[in-house]
Amino acid sequence: MSKTDQQLQSSTPNSLKKHTDIKGIISPFIVLFSMLILWWFVCTFNIFPSYALPSPEDVLKSFKEEIVAGRLVNDIIASLWRVVIGFFLSAGLAIPVGLWLGQHAASRRAFLPMLNFFRFLSPLAWIPFAILWFHIGDKPAIFLIFMAAFFPLVLAVMSAVATIPTIYFRVAHDYNYKGFALITKVTFPAVLPQIITALRVIYGIAWVVIVAAEMVGCQDGLGYGIWEARNGLRLDSAVCYMIVIGLIGMGIDRILIQFTKLPNVRWGYER
Amino acid sequence: MKDNQLNSGISLNNVSHSFGELSVLENLNLTVKPGEFVVLVGPSGCGKTTLLNILSGYLKPRSGSVKRAGIIRTVYQHDGLFPWLTVNENISMGLRFIENKAQQENELRELIELIHLQGFENHYPHQLSGGMRQRVELARVIGGDSDILLMDEPFSALDYQTRLRMRQELVRLLEKRPRTVVFVTHDIEEAVQLADRVLVLSDRPTHISRELQINSARPRNPTDDEVIEATKAILYEFGLEVTEKDKKKHILDQ
Amino acid sequence: MKLTKTTFFLGIALFIIVLGVLRFKPWNNLTSMATKDVIHQGPNGLAHHELAIGFLPVTCHLTCPVTDFASKTTHSNTNFDSRLFTDFPTVASALEAKQIQATFMIAPLAMKLREQGVPVKICYLGHRDGSEIIVGKNSSIRSLADLKGKKLALPSLFSNQNFVIHKLMQDYGMKPNDITFVILPPPDMPTSLASGAIDAYFVGEPFCAKAELDGYGRVLYYARDIWPNFISCVLVVHEDLIKSNPEVVRDLVRGIAQSGLWAETHRAEAAKLVAPYYRQNEKVLNYVLTSNPERVKYVNLSATDEDFQQIEDMGLKLGYLKKRTPMSELLDRSFEPKDLTPAAITTAEITDHNKHNR
Repeated sequence: MSKTDQQLQSSTPNSLKKHTDIKGIISPFIVLFSMLILWWFVCTFNIFPSYALPSPEDVLKSFKEEIVAGRLVNDIIASLWRVVIGFFLSAGLAIPVGLWLGQHAASRRAFLPMLNFFRFLSPLAWIPFAILWFHIGDKPAIFLIFMAAFFPLVLAVMSAVATIPTIYFRVAHDYNYKGFALITKVTFPAVLPQIITALRVIYGIAWVVIVAAEMVGCQDGLGYGIWEARNGLRLDSAVCYMIVIGLIGMGIDRILIQFTKLPNVRWGYER
Repeated sequence: MKDNQLNSGISLNNVSHSFGELSVLENLNLTVKPGEFVVLVGPSGCGKTTLLNILSGYLKPRSGSVKRAGIIRTVYQHDGLFPWLTVNENISMGLRFIENKAQQENELRELIELIHLQGFENHYPHQLSGGMRQRVELARVIGGDSDILLMDEPFSALDYQTRLRMRQELVRLLEKRPRTVVFVTHDIEEAVQLADRVLVLSDRPTHISRELQINSARPRNPTDDEVIEATKAILYEFGLEVTEKDKKKHILDQ
Repeated sequence: MKLTKTTFFLGIALFIIVLGVLRFKPWNNLTSMATKDVIHQGPNGLAHHELAIGFLPVTCHLTCPVTDFASKTTHSNTNFDSRLFTDFPTVASALEAKQIQATFMIAPLAMKLREQGVPVKICYLGHRDGSEIIVGKNSSIRSLADLKGKKLALPSLFSNQNFVIHKLMQDYGMKPNDITFVILPPPDMPTSLASGAIDAYFVGEPFCAKAELDGYGRVLYYARDIWPNFISCVLVVHEDLIKSNPEVVRDLVRGIAQSGLWAETHRAEAAKLVAPYYRQNEKVLNYVLTSNPERVKYVNLSATDEDFQQIEDMGLKLGYLKKRTPMSELLDRSFEPKDLTPAAITTAEITDHNKHNR
């Protein structure tokens, strides 16, 4: 008993180890700050002409302008709404489909070429149809996000299910897990860590696609903001939108990382 | 305490199995009596796992018949626990069908105490040592209404000392909760230390080449006379026994 | 553990709900902007209808935001909401779906829509002229003939610019492939010229003025040099609206005409007024409108048969249009007002409005 306790103690510090050194926390800020300085330097000394690269001061000014006008907040909400709805729609459909395909080798073989075909089709190729079928507003953008996210997610879930060690199914057989219970109690939790990783990747795709998707068929949103800034010959405001897009993208990824901290998926990341 | 293991048992009648062209089992006959501890010993790759899968019902044999009475559960070499469930939740899998919640709770607490893992109830398998994990597996299969335990080299992934301790642990658990056991191992010492009856399996296609009855009471030491005798017999069966003639030859060679 | 999981999913649900509420602002109780028959108490308290009109931030569409502004500050039966679009395909799609029922768009695109069976009518013009061929400031290009073998950017194949340049090339006796045409989004044209990716571009304002103001472009031809009273964009109205609400269309055309008349004589004020609508720099707009009054004109905006016959002929000849549409089907001049007075917009109101927007 005492022996095994010692083994346990020697294994826990691994998971409790924390990066407490100051350098680790500060270094990203140093990099970001020096990028800002470099930007400022390039603009101040006119290395690029001002029409080719707006200066930090101009961008800051347009930031203020956009916030005061309330457009920026409205655009952020519009984009987030489209991404969130598109993301949950595709996750809600792709995960069950992936679970099902993963467990049926025959249907997996049948569907795999089709899924791969659509996965390699850039979602932006759907733009004409998105506008034709869903006209303008939220729907075409949500549709494009869905097309971008659905197929890679199905494939990820499917291959995750296909690689579940058979031992889990044998155990499940012993303990009488069948049908729906088998999927929810065994298959799904067994691939949950991989699903979460896939969701993070998918979210990344969705957030990239939304910017392009909103450049057509939309009346608001961050992508539209960039497009409009471009039409208005306002590169400073375009940069301001770019910064917002990057920051929100990062922020939401931080939230998604919290999923990996759920206790019943930790095992998937500690191997 | 349960005693319905007395009307449990497995019998194989003329069972053969093959994967494609490869014949794995050939005309195997085996009857495990209720409450008996049967150990199957054989070299690795001899089809032990296939045999266990047929016993558990996970695989259907090509030909022959299998009769099972009672609920069967398996302990695997490693990774048999669901990593997404805590110790408590893993053990509770076997207690799902107990209607009474309080009774279920009691049984769970009792099992945890039985394997001395109080305080680790809410740990996940990856937070435990190999020995602790196998103890949780033992608690899981023994809990609830199981009748027959199949064990697929359950201790072979552990270090030698932990393995010895786990054998004692298993004997202790079975004393408290008797079950019919079919235990597969390649470890001859383990076989003779635990078994009521040892069945020696041949190479592929697998059949039973020797049957040994060991009658001394458990727990046994690896150094007990009867254990040593049985070990010799099995080594002989595998052709691994060093004869007096071999020893002399060895000295002469030097 | 249960707790963390539950809070997690509750948190997500809450996030979505909050986002949805913020997105649709149910407290605003404002139905879709595009509805035609909303009895709307406009800011002047007199408007009975509300209509959304699509426009792009080009000077061709300047009268649209001006009309929007005028409908809110002066007496009008209809409240007009100008709705900013960023590209023509989206405008066309919105019109097809009847999400908007009146919009400005490039003339040949409107004709193409009609040809494809979208029941739209051209009721008025955006402005006259207002397009230029821009070349690099220090380039040696002095006439169209010098463009031989060079790259010239156009905004769209269905732009009147495309039709007109082909007419000009014919006049110069050039073959269609003497100039390499590239299609570029107008905002990219000035920078493409600056970087040397193209040698010239032909587009509407303010994308020409931008290159001039930034100091790397000069005007080779004004549109009027090639095709007097050049038409770039037109006011397009869906036939359903014409049938169901002719008074609204009458209000619209009158509003646009009056706005044009006002803008023609109040150019600096017009630049100031539309800058926040366009989300553009007032300086560029001011330059377009005031540097040379011949650059853009907001008078003589009636859609005549001769103008469109010419455009149609050119489009058919070039193969962009497939079949001849009778002018009576394409144009509807019945809403044009007989008596015209400039829109009664005061400078004080513009200043006030801009303060609110900034």
